[in-house]
Amino acid sequence: MVDCEKEEALNLQKEFEWVLHQEVHKGLEQIHQILAECAGRFPVRLYGHDNSSKQDKFVLSVPSDQVKCVVTLTGDSITHADITFKVTRQTNTTIVRTSIQNDCPWKLQQVQDAANHLQQAINHIDDVGKNYKFKSSDEVLHVLGNILGSLQRGRTSLIVPRKRPIDDLIRSLNMKSLNPNLSEDLAISFYIQSHKLIFAIYQLTNNHGTMKYDSTHAESSVPWLNEVLVFFTVGLQLCQQLKDKICVFSQYKDFTVGSRPSSPHQV
Amino acid sequence: MPGNSLVVPVVLWGKHPPTHCISCIYLSKDQKTLATGCYDGQICLWQVHPDTLQMTPRCLLVGHTAPILCISKASILQDNNYIVSSSEAGEMCTWDLVDGRCREHVKLPQVHTNMQAYHMSNCEDVRLFCNGYYPEIIVMDPFSLEILFMLSSKQNPDWISALHVLRPCNRKDDVVLALTTTGMVKVWTLLGHETKHSEPIYENESKQIKPLNAVCIQCCPNNQRTVLVVVSKYWQVYDAGDFSILCSYLAPRGERWMSGDFLAADRIIMWSDAGKGYLYKLPANSIPDNKNFHTPSIESDSPFLYCLLSQPDNKLLSCPPAMRFVTTRRQNKEHRYLLRGDSEGYVLVWNIPEISPAQLHEIQNQKPPQPVQMTATLTTSLSEAWASMVPSPVGILDQLEKREGGSIKLTASIYLPLQSRLVVGREDGTIIIVSATQTVMLQLLHGHHQEFNNWPPHQVLSGHGGRVNCLLYPHREHSRYDKNHLVSGGVDFAVCLWDLYAGTLLHRFCVHAGEITQLLVPPNNCSTRIQKCVCSVASDHSVTLLSLTERKCVCLASRHLFPVTTIKWRPLDDFMIIGCSDGTVYVWQMETGHLDRVLQGIAAEEVLYACEENEATNASSEVGLANPAVHFFRGLRHRNLSAIRHATQRGLHQLQQLGAHANNDDPHMQRTHNSPLVIQGVKTNPKDAESHILFFDIEALIIELLNEEYAMMSPGSLEAAGLIAQSEYLKVAALTQSASPDAHKKIVEVFNGRDYCPLSKFVEMSKTSEQ
Repeated sequence: MVDCEKEEALNLQKEFEWVLHQEVHKGLEQIHQILAECAGRFPVRLYGHDNSSKQDKFVLSVPSDQVKCVVTLTGDSITHADITFKVTRQTNTTIVRTSIQNDCPWKLQQVQDAANHLQQAINHIDDVGKNYKFKSSDEVLHVLGNILGSLQRGRTSLIVPRKRPIDDLIRSLNMKSLNPNLSEDLAISFYIQSHKLIFAIYQLTNNHGTMKYDSTHAESSVPWLNEVLVFFTVGLQLCQQLKDKICVFSQYKDFTVGSRPSSPHQV
Repeated sequence: MPGNSLVVPVVLWGKHPPTHCISCIYLSKDQKTLATGCYDGQICLWQVHPDTLQMTPRCLLVGHTAPILCISKASILQDNNYIVSSSEAGEMCTWDLVDGRCREHVKLPQVHTNMQAYHMSNCEDVRLFCNGYYPEIIVMDPFSLEILFMLSSKQNPDWISALHVLRPCNRKDDVVLALTTTGMVKVWTLLGHETKHSEPIYENESKQIKPLNAVCIQCCPNNQRTVLVVVSKYWQVYDAGDFSILCSYLAPRGERWMSGDFLAADRIIMWSDAGKGYLYKLPANSIPDNKNFHTPSIESDSPFLYCLLSQPDNKLLSCPPAMRFVTTRRQNKEHRYLLRGDSEGYVLVWNIPEISPAQLHEIQNQKPPQPVQMTATLTTSLSEAWASMVPSPVGILDQLEKREGGSIKLTASIYLPLQSRLVVGREDGTIIIVSATQTVMLQLLHGHHQEFNNWPPHQVLSGHGGRVNCLLYPHREHSRYDKNHLVSGGVDFAVCLWDLYAGTLLHRFCVHAGEITQLLVPPNNCSTRIQKCVCSVASDHSVTLLSLTERKCVCLASRHLFPVTTIKWRPLDDFMIIGCSDGTVYVWQMETGHLDRVLQGIAAEEVLYACEENEATNASSEVGLANPAVHFFRGLRHRNLSAIRHATQRGLHQLQQLGAHANNDDPHMQRTHNSPLVIQGVKTNPKDAESHILFFDIEALIIELLNEEYAMMSPGSLEAAGLIAQSEYLKVAALTQSASPDAHKKIVEVFNGRDYCPLSKFVEMSKTSEQ
C-alpha cells in the first residue's frame, strides 16, 4: 500500500516535470502565436507589424439627421471627420457643424493602450527563452500572472471605456482638434466600446442652478476591433488554462524540480 | 477619542513568517528605514541600524490590493518620515513610517510604473514625477496625492517608459528628459508655475532614437552632458547635446538589464534580472572631459567591466529580484549601496567599492582582465528574523503545539464570540476547537497557569484529507442556521458539515472538482430553501449552494472559465451573480440552477454595480449584507479605523439581534453582549500560515468588569457603599465617558440590579491575571 502511494507520488512528480519542461513551453508558444496574430490586426506599429497607415472610413449616424458623422480612422487616430448634429435649446433646434482635420487628429488613446499592453504581454513571453528550464511552479505562475495581467488590462481598455467627468472632457486635448470650436454647453467624444466606435454628444443644461447633461450616441462597428478582441479573449483563456494546469500540481506540495530521487524507473 | 470605543489590536504572528515576494525596494536617505513592497500588496518596514545597516522587520503595511510597483520619498527633509507607494491597481498611499499609518490614499485610473521625487525650483518641497501605462507625465503632490499638472506630447505621443528630471547648472528652470516606448526622446522645460488649469504643456523638443521600451534614462549628474539609456537587451550612452550615440553594450547572456546609473562621469553601475550588479568604466569617447569625446567608438576601447556584485543564491527564485541603487548621506560622508530584495523575502546590500583609477588600471592590465568580485555586505530575510527571535513569535495554538512536539501550519480560523471559542483549521486536515480566552491568556499573560501542562482542553475534528482552507459558522452569520453546525472546506475538494458540540462529522459534500477556497452564506431574504444553504467556492472556478438540512447540493454553478472573484445576490429575483477575474459576469438562478445570462464589459460592470446599490438601500436589514468580518478585514487593509469599528459594531449588533429573538433557554443568548474580544485570522497570501489579530474592546471590557463587580453586591451593600446615589453614578458614568448610549444603559442596568449576569470567562481570566 505504501509502495503504491510512493509510486503514485513518483509518477506525479514525473508528470510535473514533464508539464514544466514540455507543456509550459508548448503553451507559451501557442499563446505567442495568438498574440502575434492579434498584434498584426492592430492599425499601429507593433511587434514588427506596421499597419499605422491603414485607413478606414465609417459613418456614424442617428436617423432623421439627428446626428451624422463621417469619420476617417488612420491608425489609432481620427484624421478626418465631418460632424453634423441637431441641438435643441429651449424650443429652437439648430444644426451644429464641425470637423476634424488631418493636421490635428483626434487620438483614440484606448487603441494605443491596448496595443501597448499587448506588446508587454508578448515581451513577457519573449523574455522566457525557448530553451529555458523552469525550476518551480512558482516561476511559471509568476510569468503567467504577468501575461494574464497585461492581457487583462489590454482587453479591458477596449471593452470598458474610462468614465470621465464632463469637465475633463471639455478640457481634453482632443476637443482642441475640432474646427470650428463647439459652443460652451456642448462636448463631444469618440471612444471605443468592444468592437464599436462610438460618437457621443453631451449637451449641458443649467436647470435652476444645477448642471445636468443629456447625451446622444451614434455608433459603428469596426471589423478589426472584433478580431483583436477575439484574439485577446483566446489568449487570456489559453493562459488561464495553462495556469490552472500548473495549479493542480502546486495544490499538493511545493514541487520543485530535483525533489525527486533518481529512480530506476526513469526512462 | 470621543464617540469611539477604544479597540486595542494585538497581533500573534505565529512560527511561520509571511511570504514576502519583493517587487520594490527603498532605503530612506537617513539610512534608518528600509521599505520592501511585495507582489501581494503589502509593504514591510525594516528598522535599519544607520551604522551597521543591521535590519529588523518592524511592521507590515497593509492596504494595497495589487503588486507594489514603486516607492518614493515624500519630502526633501531628512527627518520627514513619510513615503509614497503606488500599486498596479492604481492605488497610491502616503505612509507615516513612525506609526505605520496611511495618511492619505487615492485610486487613480492611471497606473504608475515609476515615480521620481524631485525638488523643483520655486517649490517648497518635492513633487512626484510619474510615468506609467498612460501617455502623459503626471506631476503629483506627495502629501495630498493630488495631480498638480501633466506634461503632454505633440510628436508621436505614446507611453513614457522612462524619465529623468534635473536642473541644468546655473539655471533656474527644471528639465524633464523622457523616453517613450517607441523611442522618442522628449524634453520639457518647467518654470515652476505650472498648474492643472494651464494650457497643455507640450515638449520643447523631441527626437527619434533607437531604443524601444527603455527601462531607464539617466543624465550624468557630474557633467550633465552624457545620458545613460537602458533597455533590457543593452545599455547605451548618448551625448545630451545632440542625442547621438557614443557607446553601446549588450547584456550578459541569459540576463536582461533592469536599470542603471552613473557612479562618476566615467563610470556606471548596471544591474540585471539575475540579481547581479555590474560596474563599468566608460570608453574615452563617452567621457566629456576626454579629448576623444564624441569621436566614433573604436574596437580597442570599449566599456570595461571592472567589478561584479553577485551573491550565490541559497534559494530558488521565482521571479527577478527588485533592485535599487541608493546614495545616502551620513556624518557628511556619502555612502553608496546597491540593494536587492528577492522573491523569498531576502534583502541583500552591496557596499559599492571605491576603486581608484590606479587600481582600475591595474585590473585592466591583467591578462585576462579579472573584474573584482564582491559578495553582498549584508543579507537578511524575514525568515532569518523569525528564526533569530527568542522566544520565537507567539502563535495562537503554541501551547498545544508544544505538547504535540511539532508545529503544523494553521491555515484557517474562525472566532465564535458567543461560545468564546476559537476554531482553527490546520495543514494536516485537523480542526482544533479551543476556548479562546484560555489560549489568549496562555500566549499573552505570564503566570502559574502556563505551567499547567494539560491546558487548554480542546476538541479535534478530523475528516479532511489535507489542508483546511476555510471555515464557516453559519449561525454567527444568521440565527436561521442551526447553532450546532460548523462548515469547513479543504484542499481535498470536500465541504464538511460538523456538529460543533458533539464533535461529529454530519455530512461530507463532494461536489467540487477543485480545492475549496471560500465559504459564505446567502442573504436572509432568499427563498426558504436557499436560506438553509451555504455557498462554497472552489479553485475549479465552480460555486455551489449546499443545503445543510437536505444534505445535498441545490445549485452547481460551474463552467466559469476564470477564477471567481465576486459573488453578489439578487434574492428577490432568485439570482446569484458571479463575477470572474476576466471581468465576465454570470447570472445564475439559484432555485433551478439555470444559467440566466453571461455578461461582458460595461453591461457586466453595471449589473455588479446595481447589486451594490441594492445592498445600500437594504442597509436596514443588516443581515443581508456580507459577512461583517469581510468589511472588517477590508477596513483593516485600508487601515480605515472607522470602517473597522463600523464592521465590528455591525457584527456585534448582529449578535445582539440574534440574542434578541433567540429562545430564552440559552443563558448566553439572554443578555445583550458586547464582546470585549474579537479574534481575526489574517493571511496575505494563500500559501501563508494564518496569523491572528486580537482586538480588545476596552469599553466593552470595562462594562464587563463593572457588570461583574456590582452584580456580586447585594442591593444592601450597594447602598452601604453609597453607589446607588446619583452622584456616584455620575462619577462612574463620567469615568467610562462613553459616547455610546448602549454603555450608559448598561451601566444604569447594573446599578438597578436588574440584569444579573453569569461571570464572563474573559473577565474571570483577566482577574486571575491581576492576581
